[in-house]
Amino acid sequence: MAINRRQFIKRSAGAVSVSLVMPRFWMSNVARGQEAAADPNRKIFVMIQLAGGNDGLNTVVPFQDSRYLSLRPTLGFKDTDLKDETGASTILGSNPFGLNPAMGELKSLYDSNRVAIVLGVGYQNPNLSHFFSMDIWQTANTSGAGNGWLGRYADQKLVGQSGLSAVSIGSALPKTFYADKVVIPNITPANGTDPFVNYAYQTDARNAGDKNNQINAFKSTNTRSFPTDSFIAAIAKAGFDAEEGAAQLRAAVGNYTPGATYPTNNQPSATAVQFASALKMVAQIITTIPDANLFYVQLGGFDHHSQEIGTNTDNFTDKTKGQHAVLLKAFSLGVKTFYDDLTAHGLADNVVMMTWSEFGRRPNENASHGTDHGTASPLFVVGNSVHGGLYGQQPPLSDLDSAGNIKFKVDFRQTYATVLDKWLSADSQSILGAKYDDLGFL
Amino acid sequence: MASLSYDEAAHLLRRAGFGGTPEEIDDLSSRGREGAVDFLINVGSIDNSAMDALLAASFDFSNPGDNSKFNNGEIRRWWFTRQVATKRHFEEKMTLFWHNHFATSSSKVQDIFMYNQNLLLRQFSLDRFDNLLLKVAQDAAMLIWLDNITNVLGMPNENFARELQELFTMGINDVVTGDQNYTEQDVKEVARAFTGWDYVRRSPFAFQLKTAQHDNGTKTIYGQQANFSGEDVITIISARPATARFLTWKLFNFFVYPVSTSTADKATIDKFSKVYLNNNHSIKELVRAIFTSDEFFSDRAFFSLVKQPAEFVVGAVRMLGGTYNPGSTITSPARTSNTLSTSSRNMGQDLFAPPDVSGWDFNLGWVNTASMLERFNYANAYATNRTTTAPGVFVTTDQLRSLTKGSSKKTVKKFLARLGPLSAPDAISTLRTYLETGDNGQPVSFVNDDATIDKKIRGLVHQIMCLPEFQLN
Repeated sequence: MAINRRQFIKRSAGAVSVSLVMPRFWMSNVARGQEAAADPNRKIFVMIQLAGGNDGLNTVVPFQDSRYLSLRPTLGFKDTDLKDETGASTILGSNPFGLNPAMGELKSLYDSNRVAIVLGVGYQNPNLSHFFSMDIWQTANTSGAGNGWLGRYADQKLVGQSGLSAVSIGSALPKTFYADKVVIPNITPANGTDPFVNYAYQTDARNAGDKNNQINAFKSTNTRSFPTDSFIAAIAKAGFDAEEGAAQLRAAVGNYTPGATYPTNNQPSATAVQFASALKMVAQIITTIPDANLFYVQLGGFDHHSQEIGTNTDNFTDKTKGQHAVLLKAFSLGVKTFYDDLTAHGLADNVVMMTWSEFGRRPNENASHGTDHGTASPLFVVGNSVHGGLYGQQPPLSDLDSAGNIKFKVDFRQTYATVLDKWLSADSQSILGAKYDDLGFL
Repeated sequence: MASLSYDEAAHLLRRAGFGGTPEEIDDLSSRGREGAVDFLINVGSIDNSAMDALLAASFDFSNPGDNSKFNNGEIRRWWFTRQVATKRHFEEKMTLFWHNHFATSSSKVQDIFMYNQNLLLRQFSLDRFDNLLLKVAQDAAMLIWLDNITNVLGMPNENFARELQELFTMGINDVVTGDQNYTEQDVKEVARAFTGWDYVRRSPFAFQLKTAQHDNGTKTIYGQQANFSGEDVITIISARPATARFLTWKLFNFFVYPVSTSTADKATIDKFSKVYLNNNHSIKELVRAIFTSDEFFSDRAFFSLVKQPAEFVVGAVRMLGGTYNPGSTITSPARTSNTLSTSSRNMGQDLFAPPDVSGWDFNLGWVNTASMLERFNYANAYATNRTTTAPGVFVTTDQLRSLTKGSSKKTVKKFLARLGPLSAPDAISTLRTYLETGDNGQPVSFVNDDATIDKKIRGLVHQIMCLPEFQLN
């Protein structure tokens, strides 16, 4: 591969050339006094990134694989360990798998057939670099080149639609959403009661009478024409969309009333509150903006090279505690709360969530109570429209590659194709560049 | 000796530093190209006593155990204070380069180690690369960050070995030839060479090799077999042409322009990488060659990068002659302002906490709707902060008055010149119209009285900082 990863990121970003087609939302007068009306045909997709490389073997535990506990003498779960904090089993029915004990909420959704678990998801010639592997997953291209796969979808389907038809919640716009023809807004949650509070274009508080003059000057200077394919053109477009979108977004989301109780006060953890708050923002937008249908949220910190389990007080041995358990609890609780909120708003049939992580982790634990970079891992698809159950195939731990990693069984692009064709009514072949088999979970 | 025009000197100061005043730019210009670069990179020869005095009056780091005076926020306030107040522009910018290069985060590493690493990066920033790399690798922050303290005989932890090769030295593939630089097996073998590298768990947290945990077996690294130590590996990697090219490529992307994969650009990288190889791996000589090059002063380089958030928040103060009063924890009661570090963080650059070990994504990586609003709102807060007696960032009415001219046209041009200098000819009429529009939207004539300055000139500064041109460096 001639192009270095970081070079590639810059080059691809540099190639962004946003069209000057004004999003529909920016032109209409949005003064919504109520939540969006239910539409049975509405299809909403939420991508959830588990960043850092989630330990799939300790997420969906293959407790009957005879090599599992010998490769994981301190980190591994016995079947008797597979119980959530209420004591309920997290074993998936009669299947030889159990969810990590931190994921009781997700288990309850699984039991009501709302969760598809796709086992053994990865790709040929796995790359163990976080950054390269993330590029591969985000572009759906094993060279890591090009725009994001959902960006390409947006370029086909969202041009001229609402400027809030796709939204990322997080510190930065993910590459999955890199597109040529649309600017997908990214909203960074603010701490405190109103996570949207920073998402506004401010002017001199002492001179309210000058506000319109300020905004007029801003709009004029940021809609000048700039050379296409230039940084400055992309900057002007993002800046203008930010100012316009922020005003309209804030007017809309004020009409939201939560339909579930989201975690607060650092309980069960600050991470759980943060992740659930991001999903709550998604709920706010979904319920108040009828054509906001594509979302991206992130949960980071999965790179557990050391102290994956336990805390100081148990000398890092208690498998129900520790970094990985905190993250999986955050994920499980966040998804369940969000799902309950959607149900209360009558929107649970309209939303599908899917996770991804750049890789799983090495079957053999290291000496630091952690795991090094691995390959394939399971992913979750959640929603009322999902056909719950297990898909794909668990890679056996008796058949490892030369680096000691499992061999993938499902190409990750099959999961994308299934979502694109069966949920988003798109043509997956034109977006992914090849035809991938439908996995059947939708 | 090549001459250095005002615009070229301003470009050099924006890149090698955070931008400056016309006096600073004129001074650089008068030194000529080589002279100006020599002045900037010989950081130890520049008197920095004013900054030292400010730091001494503003921070008390004498007891890192005192969480009220030494913490996460304080080390950030400290670094931003340096960036605004230093006379040694390049020292802070190069430290920022290395912070991004050896990206280590307070998300995992204690503040004292983050601070110590920052001092180390500053001290050795222009040394031989081998030496800088060794110092960083043996420093507690990196030993913790990439888990080398748990990399032990028989159970190697590959985290440091992988990133050492992928991110700190060579890259996966040679940036010029495209050849693969190392294999997965090399990662495993290099990890063995670093087994037992640890630090003493008491101040000053010195490096120690835990010999019982070090693997003294034969390792095969890049096809060579020996009982390589970690030091050996650092020496070997630092001498590889792939490392010279990767470092040159990173310096170009950070300081000059985004490097493409064209044959011409590869040749440029290869050419400058020879400076590293022919000068005993001297970082100083490599940056001297880059900053004095025709490539650096080419049209292609000017305003070809998106301003980093730190450049945005610091540059606005330095170029316009504004003030950042960091406050102090020495005064009683302590009063401080973290506005620069929090604004930069909200724009996507939280110093001491890069997103991951690969550092920040530059250029359009800084551009999304949330980060743009943060830029616009920082601009507004800076331009309209009239509280000049408390810690914070502001520009005084006196300073604004000194830059305001008799006509709207001259005034707009003056401010564009100060905040860049920026070339935005097709924005001038809009900005003049702004100055000449009253609250009711009706035209008014421009007068340079204090009421207008307090309202419209502050608004003008805000609007210029919202120009797409101002987002570039």
